[in-house]
Amino acid sequence: MGLLKKSKTEKELTKFILENKESLYRIAYSYVKNQEDALDIVQESIHKALIHINTLENQISLKSWFYKIIVNTSLDYLRKYKRLSVVDATVMEALANGSEDEYHDLDLQAAIDHLPDKYKTIILLRYFEDMKIEEIAKIVDENVNTIKTRLYRALKLLKVELDEDLTIEEDKHGKKF
Amino acid sequence: MVRNFKSLKKKYDEIVIPKELDTVVQEALKKRRIKQLTAKWSAGVAAAALLFTTSVNVSPAMAQALSEVPIVGEVVKVITVKQFEEEDDLLSADIKVPAVTGLENKNLEDSLNEDYLEEGKTLYKEFEAIMELVNEGESDHYAISSDFEVKTDNEQILVLERYVSRIAGSSSTSLQYDTIDKKNEILLSLPMLFKDDSYIQVISENIKHQMLEQMKSDTDKVYWVEDAGLDNFDDFFKAIKAEQQFYINNNGKLVISFDEYEVAPGYMGTVEFIIPTEVLREVLVSNEYIH
Repeated sequence: MGLLKKSKTEKELTKFILENKESLYRIAYSYVKNQEDALDIVQESIHKALIHINTLENQISLKSWFYKIIVNTSLDYLRKYKRLSVVDATVMEALANGSEDEYHDLDLQAAIDHLPDKYKTIILLRYFEDMKIEEIAKIVDENVNTIKTRLYRALKLLKVELDEDLTIEEDKHGKKF
Repeated sequence: MVRNFKSLKKKYDEIVIPKELDTVVQEALKKRRIKQLTAKWSAGVAAAALLFTTSVNVSPAMAQALSEVPIVGEVVKVITVKQFEEEDDLLSADIKVPAVTGLENKNLEDSLNEDYLEEGKTLYKEFEAIMELVNEGESDHYAISSDFEVKTDNEQILVLERYVSRIAGSSSTSLQYDTIDKKNEILLSLPMLFKDDSYIQVISENIKHQMLEQMKSDTDKVYWVEDAGLDNFDDFFKAIKAEQQFYINNNGKLVISFDEYEVAPGYMGTVEFIIPTEVLREVLVSNEYIH
């Protein structure tokens, strides 16, 4: 009986893609930093999603499922074309210990760009795409605690302090005024 | 020290969206492939097809349908002569075969009914062949269903819509219409309604206009039509086919229909356009059917 449901899922998927295409493009762009490759990634992700639509099960939302595809396709792309600039611990340390007075947005942007992928993905999804820790955990296939640990670690590497606008988890008491 | 994440988020939101994105997304949605299954033919398939034919001829359900179930109209009727169902975890088939009865023109009646039965058998064979692939583990899910509906039934016209839906990973639906003039007992074709070929352009232009209007008023709708902001798209709707699927509705209006993926992304499903009669006035042979 699950067969006829599939065409409904496909319609939902198409609707999701059309509604979120800009967000999907931004994620891809954040990894590859150029238009042509980002468009390629969006296209390839849509193909993958349509081909594997029957692997979409109820336990994961359409959103998490598709974001997982776009993140993985972006990472594959970087690996395949070796555009990944490898940053070792020393460089990371240097970034983290840079002169504090001269910090501005550009440095932070560069620091994020140079974060290892496993941290970058989480920063991207949590703070730029406003996703919940639970959702991110599903996208990167890790448990919630691992994501929290990585997030703290990433923020520490970036020397970012938490304040009211920047919380690890969503405010459980609703919106602040 | 608090670094300014907010302005970074702003910068992220301001990543320029290239105008090509729309086209790339539409193309990707269009070019997605229905998993192509190559049917393997074998003795088993032939035997099954034979069984199907026999069961159509002797089915008590069919005899009953023929004798007592008038589905529509008073004279010309459409009945189900055969419903073939099969379903398990991976496979499902539900093929309904219609038959038209009550026409005095038996040539027309027989040829329509033969076509319907032939189509039912072909679908069943297709299903049988895929069933083998699935049983051999070479393919996973497959569902096929066909059904029909009387779209129009008035003193003059009977329109029978048949649809076939296939689901293999993704789905596709196709529609067919038979528009029968009950008074003169003839099957209408699109070209015979018009004086000459100019109807193709007249109708196509009107449809393009309707597509653009609909997209303007409802952003959820997308048609593959020029001037709608899709750049470099290589498969725009240009014109209807001379024998494009059509029917005449109960108000005497011409309705042009397109299969899934013919002029719009799959999520739009099959689409149809009612052509205003004023637009057709110059090209119609008469107002007998369309008014």
